[in-house]
Amino acid sequence: MVMAVVAAAALRSSSTRLSRLLPGVCGEAWGHQARRGAVLRVLPFIPTQDPDVIKKMPEDFRAVYPEFLPGPKPEYRNRLREKLERQDMLARRSVMPIPEFYVGSIMAVTVADPNASGKNNRFVGICIQRGDAGLRAWFILRNVVDHQGVEIKYEMYSPLLQSIEVLRLEKRLDDELLYLRDALPIYSTFPLDMEPEVMQEGAPVPVNPIKVQLKPRPWHERWERKNLQGVMDLGLPERFYKKAKLHEKPWEKYDLMKEYRATIPEEEQADIFREISPHYPLMESTRRRGKRKRVLPSIS
Amino acid sequence: MNQAEIRKLIPAVRVAINAKHRKFSNPKGPEGRLTMLRKTVTELVKLERVELNYQRGDEARGYAERLIAMAIKHGDRHIPTMEMANYWLTEKQLVHKLFKVLAVRYKDHTESYTKLHKAPNIYPGFYRERVVLELKGNPFPPLEKKNSSHNWIHNILLEEAHQDYIRKKLKEGERSN
Repeated sequence: MVMAVVAAAALRSSSTRLSRLLPGVCGEAWGHQARRGAVLRVLPFIPTQDPDVIKKMPEDFRAVYPEFLPGPKPEYRNRLREKLERQDMLARRSVMPIPEFYVGSIMAVTVADPNASGKNNRFVGICIQRGDAGLRAWFILRNVVDHQGVEIKYEMYSPLLQSIEVLRLEKRLDDELLYLRDALPIYSTFPLDMEPEVMQEGAPVPVNPIKVQLKPRPWHERWERKNLQGVMDLGLPERFYKKAKLHEKPWEKYDLMKEYRATIPEEEQADIFREISPHYPLMESTRRRGKRKRVLPSIS
Repeated sequence: MNQAEIRKLIPAVRVAINAKHRKFSNPKGPEGRLTMLRKTVTELVKLERVELNYQRGDEARGYAERLIAMAIKHGDRHIPTMEMANYWLTEKQLVHKLFKVLAVRYKDHTESYTKLHKAPNIYPGFYRERVVLELKGNPFPPLEKKNSSHNWIHNILLEEAHQDYIRKKLKEGERSN
């Protein structure tokens, strides 16, 4: 982040010097300054001249490294900041490898903690949500310790994090598992001394089709309105489902521009991949090594 | 939480769009808004050139661009694309037009598929900006005059001077032979 601060200072002092420092960053079409009252226009993305740039992008790039894609809201976008953040993320990854994980994976995180014995703290839990992009990317781990639900939100690129391990790599049927807060505690209880599980090398990430039993109401949210796949029958009176029906928005899946405004276009993703591609083999080898580590105990 | 959706991979829209959608207050709410835009998109695909208010034309343009881009990328064997075409084009023969005419026409295009022209306001009226939205490569005569500089006096003189020079060179060549 130091570099980003320096660059921001340079931007304020002289834009010409900066454009010499980082050619091809400043003169881009996306650099907008949001003015109050003015309608913000998003200019069309100008891709690089290489016509095969999209073909070179791996299929699973956006699923495995989602935080490398910037947040799509144009009012918060800044090309230069995003580029500098990606550099810092790669630098952090070279020091502390961040494994591939998904919502539903069971993970162990070690954090520096001056008040803990041994100066660090290890927590095991299931990843129930993953959010934000760039250096601010975070995930929430949930576990039940001594009959008490515990959730910790970790920032993936925080310097306090000492290691991230994936104990069981799997996905669930839903994108967010926030309903585990209202589920029976058995579904989010994991032993703190859990062993990393064996996984075949090169196998696709398994989807756990488990259906969770929720506790009776009151809940944190109206789960009957969320179209959840990973919960058992909610057992509510008919009026709840009638109300949920009224709140459905079946037309939203046809709103092409809403869908578009929530994503980063294909060409831009390819450009981001092209930018980090010199570091990509290293990232992939650490990812593969992480998987192999999980395979080895079964062989010996 | 500002995080990109990763389930779908969407090609970039090749026109400038508003960062946020226009609400177009409608008694039926957001659903009515889409129904209204659907009419415009259907008209555009059917007639290839339509005159509208700017706000509506500009908003419908993005939807038309996305629909054509989807048809080009996935073709008519892709169920979600077909559902989308079925929703956005209320007349069913236009679904055939989208996949068999427009997708073929724009297959190798590198620029936008539509064009938005400014149009004169209606007088007397509320002076809303009017636009003409059209599909590129339509069969109608072009709306914008080509500004040719061919008949400008200095271009005529330069052209004559160039012809003179060539004639002189030819004569010299004959003499030397």
